[in-house]
Amino acid sequence: MTDEKWLESSFCPHGAIREHTLDREVCKNCTGMECIRLHRGKGIKYSCQDIETGALIEEILAAQMMYYDDGGVTFTGGECTIQFDELQTVLKELKAQEINTAIESNGAHVKLPELFPYIDHLILDCKLINEEKHKEVMGISNRIILENIRMAAEKHPSVHVRVPLIGGINNGEEEIKELLTFFRSLPQEHITFEVLKYHEYGKQKWAECGLAYTMDEKAKVASEEVNAFRERINKAGLRYKGT
Amino acid sequence: MMEVGKLLSAAEITELAKKRFQEERKIDHLEGWFLAKEIQRRCDSDYKDLPDSIRIAKTQVKVAKELPLWISDYSIFAGTQDDAFARSYALINPAFSVDSFKGYCDPVAVFGDIDPIGDITQERIDDLRAYNEQTPFAKALEHANDLAGDLTNEAIFFFEQVSGHLIPDVRPMLKDGICGIKDRIAKNLAKETDESKKNYFEAMNIALDAALVYARRYAEIAHEKADSAKEEKDRERFAYMETVLRKVPENGADNLYEAIQSFILIWQTMCLEQTPNPYAFSVGNADRIFEPYREKDDMNRELAAALFKHMLVFFNVADRSWAISQNLLISGISNDGKDLTNSTTYALMDAYYDMNLPQPILSTKLHKDTPEELYSEMGKFFFTPGCLTPSLFNDDSVFPILEKVSGVAPEDLQDYSVAGCQEPLIMGKDNGNTTNSWLNLAKILELTVNGGVSEISGKQFGPTDEENGYGSKLEVLKNVRTLFYKNVDRYLDRMVECANAASEAIGILQVPFLSTMMGGVETGIDARDTKRQGTKYNGSGCLIHGLSVVADSFIAIDNLVAERPQDADRLIEALRTNFENDPELHQYLSTAPKFGNNIPEADREAAEIAEKISDMVTSRKNYLGNPFRADWATPSTHLLYGYWVGATPDGRKAREELNYGVDPLFGDATQGLGFRMLSNMKIPFEKFNGGYASHLGINPGYFKKESYEEKGIEFKDKVIGPLFYNPKNDTVSPFYLYVNVTTPEMLRKVLAEPKKYAPSGVYIMRIHGTFVNFLDLSPDIQEDIIARLDPESAAM
Repeated sequence: MTDEKWLESSFCPHGAIREHTLDREVCKNCTGMECIRLHRGKGIKYSCQDIETGALIEEILAAQMMYYDDGGVTFTGGECTIQFDELQTVLKELKAQEINTAIESNGAHVKLPELFPYIDHLILDCKLINEEKHKEVMGISNRIILENIRMAAEKHPSVHVRVPLIGGINNGEEEIKELLTFFRSLPQEHITFEVLKYHEYGKQKWAECGLAYTMDEKAKVASEEVNAFRERINKAGLRYKGT
Repeated sequence: MMEVGKLLSAAEITELAKKRFQEERKIDHLEGWFLAKEIQRRCDSDYKDLPDSIRIAKTQVKVAKELPLWISDYSIFAGTQDDAFARSYALINPAFSVDSFKGYCDPVAVFGDIDPIGDITQERIDDLRAYNEQTPFAKALEHANDLAGDLTNEAIFFFEQVSGHLIPDVRPMLKDGICGIKDRIAKNLAKETDESKKNYFEAMNIALDAALVYARRYAEIAHEKADSAKEEKDRERFAYMETVLRKVPENGADNLYEAIQSFILIWQTMCLEQTPNPYAFSVGNADRIFEPYREKDDMNRELAAALFKHMLVFFNVADRSWAISQNLLISGISNDGKDLTNSTTYALMDAYYDMNLPQPILSTKLHKDTPEELYSEMGKFFFTPGCLTPSLFNDDSVFPILEKVSGVAPEDLQDYSVAGCQEPLIMGKDNGNTTNSWLNLAKILELTVNGGVSEISGKQFGPTDEENGYGSKLEVLKNVRTLFYKNVDRYLDRMVECANAASEAIGILQVPFLSTMMGGVETGIDARDTKRQGTKYNGSGCLIHGLSVVADSFIAIDNLVAERPQDADRLIEALRTNFENDPELHQYLSTAPKFGNNIPEADREAAEIAEKISDMVTSRKNYLGNPFRADWATPSTHLLYGYWVGATPDGRKAREELNYGVDPLFGDATQGLGFRMLSNMKIPFEKFNGGYASHLGINPGYFKKESYEEKGIEFKDKVIGPLFYNPKNDTVSPFYLYVNVTTPEMLRKVLAEPKKYAPSGVYIMRIHGTFVNFLDLSPDIQEDIIARLDPESAAM
């Protein structure tokens, strides 16, 4: 990822950086990667960092002073379950150390229930009930997601389901009705719900990573829509929890 | 005697206080200090044959007799601080710019802060200035400056003669009146055999008369105002004032009104004794001082708050509240572990909240069992935009530090209070000389890596690499810590020598009135005496600058030496040229691990520097042989000293500000509040018996509760609790914090449209330990505040 203010032409011997701008076309065929390999700067760097599970656990334990009073560690994303085995290793160790854990997940991993014993707070997204539409928009079926939510509601002591409300995707009457119907069908004892307003917090990072941000203005929703959905959740006898 | 509440309602008293403040803000010239200095000059001659202490005391009385006095139509108490202060304090002067800073050591600089007015002509000003350039005090200060040579020119260190900056114990005087104090002086005088002490007892006895003179003169003015009042209500008010002024401070106070009136005249006299500009006197633990008097007739919170509003206005001097850093403390814990919050605590908070004045500053002493109600009340301060905010002290940490490091007796601990911004002193017993010396670690680092040569001026200040025994820059960088500490040692010796000389200089200006509240009544010794200790506790302060800049620089140097040792000379050249020709190296250095991100190596380095330097400072002795106290506070001086520091190996550019107090350099802590706190908690706070500074700029958006009061509790849970009372922290927890709950965007809006966002003309922010009206500040300081909010470092 790049920060144009700090991009220096001297970082790239192939001439990809000119006047603080990176020409990613030049990068496509680059094998030397001198900009990252030979230079350590603010202008260009990896958007992620490799870390061994042992080192991660060590770092988490070093921050223990911040976990008192019910605090703990939340794994978010991207999608944290993509690194399922590593996630499981770390979660197990944290539970052994009596550190509170939470994950925020899209709920799509088939083995998600295996993690339940090591997670204190399970936060799952639920965007659409209609499988075809879900496939169309998200690129995958929602069958596992809905199964995982149902299983979590049955077996996990603390589940929080969040609906990111996105204009033109799931803010229509039909979609909302389907969501409410599904939510009502779940065991309610350990589950709460929340509606999140569509945001573009990640937009800048996409640009810095040279990726096209394909969402447009239509995705934005009004606060009134969010509030109305929240009211319907409450009226349906479901427990709403703002976070 | 009639009660004030029967004459005026709380609302009426409040209305008068607000009008009085507006009236005060219209005063755009201050000449009282000048007139007092002229009287002093005359007395120097008239009383030249008397012992110094007696001459000074008699001068005090003369000033009290001759200084013009008045009572405002809006006053319910008589007294003012206006005559003790000049329009001097740089940071609230819009004409101030960072490059103009020359320290606070020029005894006649104040004569540049007065313009001719009426019969005060430029000739008269110049004449008095010339006289004051030749006084024994000025000569002694000149000697201190001579000792420093050119080392202060680029802020390697500074020193100053400390005026103000103490915490008198007014309680005996409020309770027994000045006549009670005089009785005690007479008894001790009768027992005394030492001639100089006898003189000093006599001097204190005379100096106390000055307060009585003010009371009598104000009583006469009140009488006249009562006589000429058109409204019956005003007549009654001024008549009541006269009656009380004829009682206090001569006699003990019997209710809250009398206690406040007595306090004001005591304070006025005390400040005039040190005019001009005795900054940073502290009221002390105000709720405990005044609660016994409120309790006497069980005055309700609303009425008590209304009276306190007038007391708060008293602390505001003229158009910009020039009497800065006067601190008032509330709450705290007792020696035996009981919470000391009382009804007066909340009345004072109400007064502060409603008035929202630039002075005096408010500080809250907390402990793990502080009642929730106090946090709720503080919520209003934190979350109301443009409202003053209390700074926060952690008694659970301060008590053991003062006991173990400063040797404070257990019975005195609960009486610790704060002089100036954050320096803990024992009320009435401690001359901590808090701002006596100032050390610039970042400048010393610059000279260390650069062969003793200043990157700013090219001037040779210290030994060359060769003289230090190093043949190459790589060798210098490999041994940078050894060489740095050696240099600190050298400059510390010089600084201490100068600082002690400055204390000797100010010691010439004895303070018999103040000393009656600092233990002098028992010891017969002046609080400033440099040969015999007049206060139970004594030390000298050293404010240490540049912690994280030096720590991060060491880490960056280590990386360079390990990864690209061939670039050692290139680094020095890049520093010399402020990275202008080497942006690649600049980025390389900037991306090295930085303190404030919970990175072990950087945090360890900062902790080690803090520990070593604190020990080095504490090993130095002041004029009485007492240790200097390590104070890691940088009251805007991080900006002023940074101006004299060239580019540093952490990637900081030349003349940019240094880090504030023990905080990371702004922009360098990027991992949010939790990680910043974790780094912070690795610092050895137990070494900081002189105090330290730390600030968080917090975005109010992180707090989701509805009301300000609920947000106050949330603030405790999210910020104060984790930092101060963390059960998993097995070391001494942090003990000081101030916050600004706002965003850079909000402050830009206030600057762009002050009428919209600060219709009263007052938008209070905190800079270091003191409140400031953001709109009053010089542009340099406004920009510094915005930069230093550093929201990324406190993200939640």
